[in-house]
Amino acid sequence: MRLATAFIVFVLPFFLVVEALDAETVEEFAVRDLFNRNVNAESSHTNNWAVLVCASRYWFNYRHMANALGMYRTVKRLGIPDSNIVLMLADDAACNSRNHFPGCVFANRGHALDLYGENIEVDYRGYEVTVENFLRLLTGRVEPSVPRSKRLLTDDRSNIFVYMTGHGGDEFLKFQDSEEISAFDIADAFEQMWQKKRYNEIFFMIDTCQANTMYSKFYSPNILATGSSRIRENSYSYENDDDVGVSVIDSYTHFVLEYLEGVNKTSTTSMKDLFDKYDPEIIRSHPGVRSDLFHRPLERTLITDFFGGVAHAEVMHTGPPHLPSSTLVPPLAQVDSITEDEHMQVEVLHNPMDGTGDHWVGLYRAWGAVGIMGLLVAWATLNTKW
Amino acid sequence: MSSSESPSRQAPTPPHGLGRLRHNIKKSLLPGDNATRIRTRRRIVAFAWRYLDMLRLCLLSAGCLWLLTLPVSQLGVDTYIDENALQPSQVNTYWNWVDVHRADRLLEDVSLLRERNLSSVERATFFATEFAKCGLPSSTQTYSIQTSHGTLNGTNAYAVFSAPRTSGTEAMIISASWKSMTGGENLRGVSIVLSLAAFLKQYSHWSKDIIFVITDNHLDGMHAWLGAYHRPSSANWDAEPLSITSGVVWTALNIDYPGHSFSHLGVFREGLNGRLPNQDLINSFRTISQQTSGVPVLLYDHYEPSEFPGREGIRSFYPSWLPNWLWERETILEYGYRAKNILRHFAYQARGRASGPHGSFHQYRIDAITLFAVPSNGPHGFYALGRAVESTLRTMSNLLERLHASFFFYIMTTPSTFLKIGSYLPSAVLVAAALMIGGLREWVKAGWVELEECQSGPGKGDAADIPSSSKKKWAPRRRDLLDVFVVMAASHLVGLTLFVIICREWLDIGLLSFIILPACWVVLMLAPWKSPSLDSSVSTAPLHTLLKAINMCLASTLISVSSVLNFSLAALLAVTLGVPLSSASPSDSLPERGIKCALYTTLAFGWLAFHGEVKQGIWDWEVLGVWFSPLVCLVYVPLVLQAGIISSLSP
Repeated sequence: MRLATAFIVFVLPFFLVVEALDAETVEEFAVRDLFNRNVNAESSHTNNWAVLVCASRYWFNYRHMANALGMYRTVKRLGIPDSNIVLMLADDAACNSRNHFPGCVFANRGHALDLYGENIEVDYRGYEVTVENFLRLLTGRVEPSVPRSKRLLTDDRSNIFVYMTGHGGDEFLKFQDSEEISAFDIADAFEQMWQKKRYNEIFFMIDTCQANTMYSKFYSPNILATGSSRIRENSYSYENDDDVGVSVIDSYTHFVLEYLEGVNKTSTTSMKDLFDKYDPEIIRSHPGVRSDLFHRPLERTLITDFFGGVAHAEVMHTGPPHLPSSTLVPPLAQVDSITEDEHMQVEVLHNPMDGTGDHWVGLYRAWGAVGIMGLLVAWATLNTKW
Repeated sequence: MSSSESPSRQAPTPPHGLGRLRHNIKKSLLPGDNATRIRTRRRIVAFAWRYLDMLRLCLLSAGCLWLLTLPVSQLGVDTYIDENALQPSQVNTYWNWVDVHRADRLLEDVSLLRERNLSSVERATFFATEFAKCGLPSSTQTYSIQTSHGTLNGTNAYAVFSAPRTSGTEAMIISASWKSMTGGENLRGVSIVLSLAAFLKQYSHWSKDIIFVITDNHLDGMHAWLGAYHRPSSANWDAEPLSITSGVVWTALNIDYPGHSFSHLGVFREGLNGRLPNQDLINSFRTISQQTSGVPVLLYDHYEPSEFPGREGIRSFYPSWLPNWLWERETILEYGYRAKNILRHFAYQARGRASGPHGSFHQYRIDAITLFAVPSNGPHGFYALGRAVESTLRTMSNLLERLHASFFFYIMTTPSTFLKIGSYLPSAVLVAAALMIGGLREWVKAGWVELEECQSGPGKGDAADIPSSSKKKWAPRRRDLLDVFVVMAASHLVGLTLFVIICREWLDIGLLSFIILPACWVVLMLAPWKSPSLDSSVSTAPLHTLLKAINMCLASTLISVSSVLNFSLAALLAVTLGVPLSSASPSDSLPERGIKCALYTTLAFGWLAFHGEVKQGIWDWEVLGVWFSPLVCLVYVPLVLQAGIISSLSP
């Protein structure tokens, strides 16, 4: 009997402690494992946006609209919701009277995939696609009456994908035969965005003739840029559909879209993989990459950092601190901090009561068990007649 | 841009390249010293004055030689599509054997119309009914055109296919005339238009309404129909207003298919008064015809030298005494081929004549051509033509604005090469410049007289008495223009009278030429105007100098102005007026005057001998409003007559 008591007193608490510690570690590892799958990404953004601009109009520029719609389909497929996509499109191709397939836009010969099919949300349409509207959109200098769908509601944790296509030249891109945007305009707009903390990182992609000149004037940090062709070099269309009667997509965009077809939401393909795949022979122009303003290594920059929509969120510290709940399952809101250990520690120091409940529950349980064990030892000692 | 600006920016330092050259020229021609500068300028003026005749001769011969170099292949430029929206030959065509079969069935019906010798009203009613059978709103239009020889009557049929997905503000026309340019009936052209109406209606991808027109006769039916489409009424024609209309017409194709098959499609482009359609239309059609339907394209019906009848055609173009080894050379052959094309073009354009029913379109700013199915034993027929027309319509439907990008002023030398305005315009302008310089020199001569300076003061000495050693001096004299204007007005009045006579045909034209030639010569020889005495020629300018000055300046202006409107006409005027007007001068001897007057009267009225040509010119003027015959009578004849008057005077 004594032996049994001694066993209960000494051994059981030990098991309890071990059990509690064990449970904590397993949960945490599982969670860490889940969210650290992209540990190479080193991305600190919490939301993704896409600005897709087709700067041309008219029937014979069908391919530019197909370019933009192809990008639209891809970013949507990779998880950016319509609310985070601003699509600027002349939109006079699908319902053009010259269109042999009313209401459809195809980007391939043979009409396999209708890009205009089910759910298209064009935010700036027709004559709204202007240089002024584009710059206002980027810099956020919009009238109060402008609806949310036409605003770029980004913050300093936003990764933005900016895609432009149309007819361009040395350091300019033509907007609908009436005006041009220069490389300096875009560079200055990005700088304003940076100063106003409107982005974390920007990925700028442009498909036009002499496209690489368009990003040559950028000077703001954290911008990764790529273009379809060098200075004094044309970008060409990829193929022509004989029923539609015009070229349906541009060569460079077609190449990128084809590559992105192999990328899904959980893919770990990096930007370097994409850029390494660039082949001037296939694209029929020399694409360029500018990464001197971008501070992360390209092989650790995921394509989904810009094309995908992250589910990560960051908890703001404005509400009253809440005590840890009894559950062992951590709230999703904290996942983001787990991915960065340093970040977590800073948060712990600032507000030890907040957030990291699973850890404290584990500790309480461990110390509680030790305390109980101590009490039992004391009680047993006092009550034992040797 | 920047390279030419850089020398001026760095003015203080010695400029490089072009700037230095300019600097050196400036230094030698315009030295800083004013006296030297004036002396240099005088030297240049004196030099130019001394060799003025040489300069005129050079300009005249350069202009004429330039005309001869136009067919040289080095001057030609390759054609290209300038308008981005056209996208020619990029679509699949849907015209198929079903539609060819329908065209064949229609051809049987249309042939019956000819065999039963139906009136134009009955024919037009049949066409309108056929259009209606396709479900198109259709109608007929009767017209009559008053000419001095009677009334032209006819009935057109037309139908409008409203593009299902547009507002119908723009339209394009497919037409065929009942008569072919070969003189026979355009049965297959009419049948394919009827079949196309049924075929094109099946598709909704048209951005413009399509109007189908089957016109009566050859040229006048389309002229009346278009007139009624664009204007409420006109003085000389009376056409029924159109009950069905559409939007603004941008482009038109006219189909002329007289044979039972064809080997090539020939493009006819010349419009009334020398207007041409935008070259993009021709180039697009050529691309489509060759790539989509595999039919080679010709200019007119001229075979290329590489093809079978081409060589023989060009050989017949050269004089027969030319040795064989010469014309068999490729360059000579190519020159001949291009010269043939240019001359055919000149023949249409200079006379302001339309080369097909498409010619009436251009005055309404509609780009139009006639597709001529060159009759042959094969291999092409309705199938190839339908595909070419369908694809061309798709291209025309792609247009977002009127054709404007490519050339309106050009000379096609082959189906794929053309002359830019800069490479042909100078020829006529050089001749005009020679005339203008000559005219201005006469004007200066009329204002100044070179006098021998007498010791006795300002008296007017007799030239013969003055010893040759005395000093010469220029004295101004009066230029009395009243006489000149009276003479000119009289000569233009003669031209007007002539025009009225040949229009009304009060006298038979052949007879007229027999009367007017000698009459004019006699009048010129017995002219009442006396040569002024030497006395008066010192104080006032002689009539012949002033008349020649005004005459040459007028001719020069006429040639240079018309060179940008109708180059062929300007070239014709340059050739016919350049040398004769420049060489008009009074002479002392009576026989010389007689011969000269005879030459000038022949030049002025000799064309009356071409009876049929004159009648055609008058018909063109009365029915289609072609300016050529009034221009000849009211401007050309008086100008040459004035030269005759100058030659009939004694100095």
